[in-house]
Amino acid sequence: MKSPPHRFLASATHAYSMLFGGVGCVVLALFLSSCSSIRPARHAISPGEESALPLRFSIICIIHGDSGYLYHDTRGNAFRADEETLARAKRVAERNTEAEVFIFHERHRRHFLLFFPVRDGTFYYYRHGRLLAEESYWRDKGRSRFDPEVELYDRFRAKEQPQLVRLFLYFGHEIPEFDGAGYDASYSDRTFTIDDLADGLRRITRNSTKFDLIVLSTCFSGTPHTIAALSPYARYIIASPDNLHLSYFDLYPLERLDVGLPDGDVSAFAKKFARNAFDRLEENIQTAITVAVYDVDRVRGFLDSVDSVYDDALTTLNGKTPASIEHCDCAEDPAYVLPGMSEGVDVFYRPPRFGRSKHTRSHSGWECSRLMK
Amino acid sequence: MLTRTALRLTVMAFVMMFALVHVGNALGQDNLQKYFNDTACKVKATADPSQKRAILNDGLQNMSKALNRVESLRLVSKDDRAGIDRLKVTLQERQNELAGNNGYDRVPDGRLNAFSDFVVQDMEQADRTITISVVTLLLIIIIVILVT
Repeated sequence: MKSPPHRFLASATHAYSMLFGGVGCVVLALFLSSCSSIRPARHAISPGEESALPLRFSIICIIHGDSGYLYHDTRGNAFRADEETLARAKRVAERNTEAEVFIFHERHRRHFLLFFPVRDGTFYYYRHGRLLAEESYWRDKGRSRFDPEVELYDRFRAKEQPQLVRLFLYFGHEIPEFDGAGYDASYSDRTFTIDDLADGLRRITRNSTKFDLIVLSTCFSGTPHTIAALSPYARYIIASPDNLHLSYFDLYPLERLDVGLPDGDVSAFAKKFARNAFDRLEENIQTAITVAVYDVDRVRGFLDSVDSVYDDALTTLNGKTPASIEHCDCAEDPAYVLPGMSEGVDVFYRPPRFGRSKHTRSHSGWECSRLMK
Repeated sequence: MLTRTALRLTVMAFVMMFALVHVGNALGQDNLQKYFNDTACKVKATADPSQKRAILNDGLQNMSKALNRVESLRLVSKDDRAGIDRLKVTLQERQNELAGNNGYDRVPDGRLNAFSDFVVQDMEQADRTITISVVTLLLIIIIVILVT
């Protein structure tokens, strides 16, 4: 028979074993759940409850949040650009009852209990103004950068799509034209360039249709190379050739597209959107404001004529430290001042209120890069 | 006293470096922006133009001092030095414009609030010009806290 101390020791050991075993099971379960692939969608309403109205618009928003996106308003209040944009994009989705809206929020990778990675992308799918699905996904699954987003888009898009007006919007930091390392703070070994974005658009459009309007809410996106790279997939592009404050372009004109774009005149809508974005930024922003609308068909001639000059410049800059490169208006380089430079480009420009450029009167709508002197 | 300060600095540095493993570059850059935003808030909190000017100048100068100290450390990479140099040039330009030096018109008293917004917003663009690694950014923040 065991003595009391032995019985106590045995029961204590058993209790601790149960406790540690339970904790271990919980940890294992958490670990396995963090490793699983894309989960089934969480449906907010059942498919049978959808509206019978036909769809007229399709909007895709990609919101990059895996970097430094903090900004402040003039009262000193702090905001995160990606979170603010997500809220506005959801509002656009809710207010457009004749649209399907895809929102992809690419977030910073976090870890549960410091060790277990948590899904770092969130997808929202709206149709007829109602949230039909919300899913978390892993951003690093697949060989190409936008594999997860393309897969989700293909899975949820309305299959019967006769005459949709299609819009694509990207929000984030300047998309590099070469190198591209470090764009995602969570993925130091990944690169992201404008060619990756073009590839994603190619797969979404299946090389057969074009977006009626692409909006790049980033800095320095109005360059010959960027516009040329995206031109196969768009009829019109809105971009900021110069700096763009992290408060981005205002999305209000996208609310109620049935009212703002009733007859499908995308050209007029694009100019109205750009003008509104410019006016909103001008209210509080002291730095430069440049918003340009590119008619892809009409700028093609200029893009073809400067293609090799710009590519040579990129080749020269590739490999240089980012701090040694500066941006400038292409009009400062005689190689770009050609007939047709302003053809097909509508520019809304205001110089910075301070600094060396405050007396600059205009911008050509085309941004270039060069080595700093 | 010196030993306690050095120990405190070392502990702070290790804690922040551990934190940055999980939160990445965003933390360093966010703190840089918060610093300038705090300066702008102090500028707007006072009505006296000479005080506004002094707060702005001190804010820019303290950051420049911190950049100089970090740059003098041997553990800063060549790329980081280039990023620091670029930031120092920008800060010097702001100080020049504030005072009306080096070809600038002096920022008028009535425009000091707007100028403080300009300093903040210039750091908050959707570009990638702050090309300094997270470790160096955090060192800058630590030193600027100790300098002020």
